[in-house]
Amino acid sequence: MKKMCVVLEDREIRDNPFTPDMFRIVRRYPLTNDVNFYQARPVDVEEALKFDYKPGQFVMMSLIGEGEAPFSLSSTPSRPGMLEFCIRNVGTLTSTLHGMKENETVGIRGPYGNGFPIDKMLGMDILIVAGGLGAAPLRSLLLYILDNRDQFGKLTYLHGARLPGEMLFREEFIQLKDREDLNCLLAVDKDDTGKWPYKVGVVTELFKDLGPVDGKNTFGVICGPPAMYRFVTPHLVKLGIPKHQILMTLERRMKCGVGKCGHCAIEYLYTCIDGPVFSYWDVLHMKEIIGRGVSDKTIA
Amino acid sequence: MTRQSPKVGVYGFTGCAGDQLMILNCEDQLVDLFGATEIRSFLMAKSDNHEGELDVAFVEGSISTDHQEKKLKDIRARSKVLIAIGGCACVGGPQAMMVGDGKWEERFKKVYGNAKITVAKPNEAKPIDAIVKVDIYIPGCPIDKSEFLNAVSKLVAGKHPYLYQFPVCNECRWKENPCILYAGKFCGGPLTKAGCGAICPTLGLPCVGCWGPTDDLNVTSEYQLLKEKGYDPDEVMKKLRKFGGAKLAELVKDIEKKGAKA
Amino acid sequence: MMILKMKKEDLSTFLDAVKEWGELWGPTKKDGKVSFSKVDSLSQMDLKATRTIIPPKKFLYPPRFTMFDFDENGYVERTGDVPKRILFGIHPCDIHGVVIMDKLFLETYNDPYYRERREKTLLLGHSCIPDEKCMCIATDTDFIAEGFDLFFTDLKMSYLVWVGSTKGHDLIRMKPELFSRALDKSDILNYTAYRKWKNTQYKTMVDFTGMPDIFELGYSSQVWDKLGDKCLSCGQCSMVCPTCNCYNVVDDVELGSIEGTRDRFWDSCMFREYSLVAGGHNFREKRADRLRLWYTHKLQAYIGEFGKPACVGCGRCVATCPVDINVVTVADALKEQEVGK
Ligand SMILES: Cc1cc2nc3c(=O)[nH]c(=O)nc-3n(C[C@H](O)[C@H](O)[C@H](O)COP(=O)(O)OP(=O)(O)OC[C@H]3O[C@@H](n4cnc5c(N)ncnc54)[C@H](O)[C@@H]3O)c2cc1C
Ligand code: SF4
Ligand code: SF4
Ligand code: SF4
Ligand code: SF4
Ligand code: FES
Repeated sequence: MKKMCVVLEDREIRDNPFTPDMFRIVRRYPLTNDVNFYQARPVDVEEALKFDYKPGQFVMMSLIGEGEAPFSLSSTPSRPGMLEFCIRNVGTLTSTLHGMKENETVGIRGPYGNGFPIDKMLGMDILIVAGGLGAAPLRSLLLYILDNRDQFGKLTYLHGARLPGEMLFREEFIQLKDREDLNCLLAVDKDDTGKWPYKVGVVTELFKDLGPVDGKNTFGVICGPPAMYRFVTPHLVKLGIPKHQILMTLERRMKCGVGKCGHCAIEYLYTCIDGPVFSYWDVLHMKEIIGRGVSDKTIA
Repeated sequence: MTRQSPKVGVYGFTGCAGDQLMILNCEDQLVDLFGATEIRSFLMAKSDNHEGELDVAFVEGSISTDHQEKKLKDIRARSKVLIAIGGCACVGGPQAMMVGDGKWEERFKKVYGNAKITVAKPNEAKPIDAIVKVDIYIPGCPIDKSEFLNAVSKLVAGKHPYLYQFPVCNECRWKENPCILYAGKFCGGPLTKAGCGAICPTLGLPCVGCWGPTDDLNVTSEYQLLKEKGYDPDEVMKKLRKFGGAKLAELVKDIEKKGAKA
Repeated sequence: MMILKMKKEDLSTFLDAVKEWGELWGPTKKDGKVSFSKVDSLSQMDLKATRTIIPPKKFLYPPRFTMFDFDENGYVERTGDVPKRILFGIHPCDIHGVVIMDKLFLETYNDPYYRERREKTLLLGHSCIPDEKCMCIATDTDFIAEGFDLFFTDLKMSYLVWVGSTKGHDLIRMKPELFSRALDKSDILNYTAYRKWKNTQYKTMVDFTGMPDIFELGYSSQVWDKLGDKCLSCGQCSMVCPTCNCYNVVDDVELGSIEGTRDRFWDSCMFREYSLVAGGHNFREKRADRLRLWYTHKLQAYIGEFGKPACVGCGRCVATCPVDINVVTVADALKEQEVGK
């Protein structure tokens, strides 16, 4: 009763969590034939440094007259001022976005979602496995860790793509291979160029080149197409990484990003608020998902 | 699609031209419509028609001759976006209600006798997507003015139209109508795409399916339900067939098969 | 909480007086259509009508409304044009429904559209007589202690009036002479007799105890497939349920311009399009999966979190689903592992 009175009497002007702020596209270029890279900055430059977020979080992006859709932040909060995205052209909103040019504006609200549990990951070894568009949120995590390198243990980055031309941020990752403090392993399923100097084979092949892994002290992080989860999780489990230290992000249709519209529900969880990052342990308890992507034969 | 005055064509095939009329009926917005677009071809509305490259082609009516088929293919070839407007173009309309029963020739004879049709070779009426790829469907019999203008406004702005995908029942509930089907009488609401504003149930009349079938209809269950409520199965089938033309006829055929097996 | 007493014949005078605060709305019945409508006076209301087709959520969260006006410079929130309303004659189950909606829309990221309407809508509850579809006794929502501004319990000769908020109290103060604080022994006896009597009026007996466990155990039950075969995906169950909140959002533009509006409208997890994601993949392609989500939300998830179901026992799904899928038949089917009829 008391609570209700407080709610009704509190008449201050409050923020509208649904209002997008306008951002300007400052750079835009293709990463592959259907994925574009975007850099965006608030139109109101004063706001640029105020937009803080965690790796693994996402925003709702609005195109005037076209609607809204969720996209992962691909940049790192350790390099503030500019938000980065990589976006695949799959439908109505994304095709219009792909037709937009630098200097045009989009609406952005957020950041939303839980993001990666950075606090818990501090001091631990990190093993990242990216496939396809999964590189979008994982690049954020990778760059964040590189910028705060002394706060984490051993860092490994595995990235698989179908063809060399389809590997997102290919040049950026190839350059990272030179770093001493990162083990960056890249693979393509097939080399149609004949010039790919690294591994040819599915991403799980890269596990052979890992060397010793201290499972108990490692966080495994996977993001990629659903089939990849099915193949990669057993490898991580075999390395001795506890299930609650294996992280993955899930994708659902989203219409609000703030737990109101219901679209992203997985049983009683909302992907937009309770996720999009879940541990393998969480996922094993979501009946809706088991049998569709991730399965675990080790559970009786 | 360009943001500056898209080139538009409006074409009619077999149908009552009710949808083209509806476009002309958009009095208040007609001036805006002609202003915002460059109408290259619209036989019903103007005489100086040019047949060339189009940004958007609106096509009304179903296809029932090979001549029409050829013309439609030509329109498709020179249009960036092809939009089916009205029930006939989207799903075949009443002309197609018996499609798939294999008795078209018999019926044709009944109506036209043995007369030789020489102008064009007549075929069974088909929805236009039986012949060409359709980008957007604006259903209705006739189409709804505001749904049409809504879609056109978006196209003109270079955006993608959004049309309700859910069934009439949803809009019917928004209007707080007592449900006809729940009362045990026939209503096609659950099988039919929304967009009309549930006009008929709001007037106490059953929905007869002008907007065509939804992508996710459970016609078997509705058939069973009506049978349980005491309807004669043949009558239910007739009512369902009247619906959604060719597309629904296919589904109904399946039930009949299953029913025969059971 | 303060409880006052009012003579029954004074209700009309009271409602006429409070109209000064805002529009008066109440339950009406026309051509078999029971709904909350705008009225001039008590005489136009039908207080015997058990349930409206659509619950009062339509006032707090209309079927379709505009969130923003936009142009190339950005989005401008559309609020402020909501009228002040007094809703008279809301039953306890529906107030419970509002309390659940409050949790959803006002906690973490509160929704300014819901909030504005909630603030501008006063809820004046009224006691009710359960019919054969009501089951609020099984969901523990047959009486209400929060969420309303005033609540009127009809004790034949007089009303006992619960004052649930300061705004409710403000309304009382517009006509204080109609209310008395002097409650006597007979009032207490009448009230307890009324509660006892109400408890005996239920005809739908349904037992929700252990539901979360039964759901868990019956996750892969064939019962879901059988129900899925019957379901028409008409979405009516979501529209009429006081605790369904799902919505979709769409942008519309004006002809020949880039200005337009962003609208929000009621959606349902029973529709196929609802769970589609990129690549045309659908997480709930099967109707059985969609039904399971719907009923998990009503009878399992909320119990797990708040100790009671998100079903308030209003009976609307019973009075709505053309193919007899509702909380009662679903709960029974899960318990018996068999679909009735
Ligand atoms: C947390 C999160 C993070 C994400 N991060 C990224 C990211 O970083 N980069 C990225 O590119 N994407 C990301 N996505 C996915 C992205 O949100 C979707 O690709 C985007 O919403 C697609 O929008 P659209 O309007 O272009 O597609 P839509 O037009 O909505 O279509 C999407 C797909 O659904 C299908 N579809 C839609 N409606 C229908 C219908 N009625 N019938 C049949 N099929 C239909 C289409 O086939 C299409 O493939 C993310 C999603 C989530 C949830
Ligand atoms: S009356 Fe018809 S359209 Fe309306 S809810 Fe019932 S079945 Fe659906
Ligand atoms: S309710 Fe059905 S019959 Fe009536 S206009 Fe709509 S689609 Fe046509
Ligand atoms: S459960 Fe009933 S009301 Fe709900 S969608 Fe299915 S048929 Fe319609
Ligand atoms: S599930 Fe049915 S009885 Fe329960 S609140 Fe919703 S409509 Fe009412
Ligand atoms: S996106 Fe709306 S509830 Fe999660």
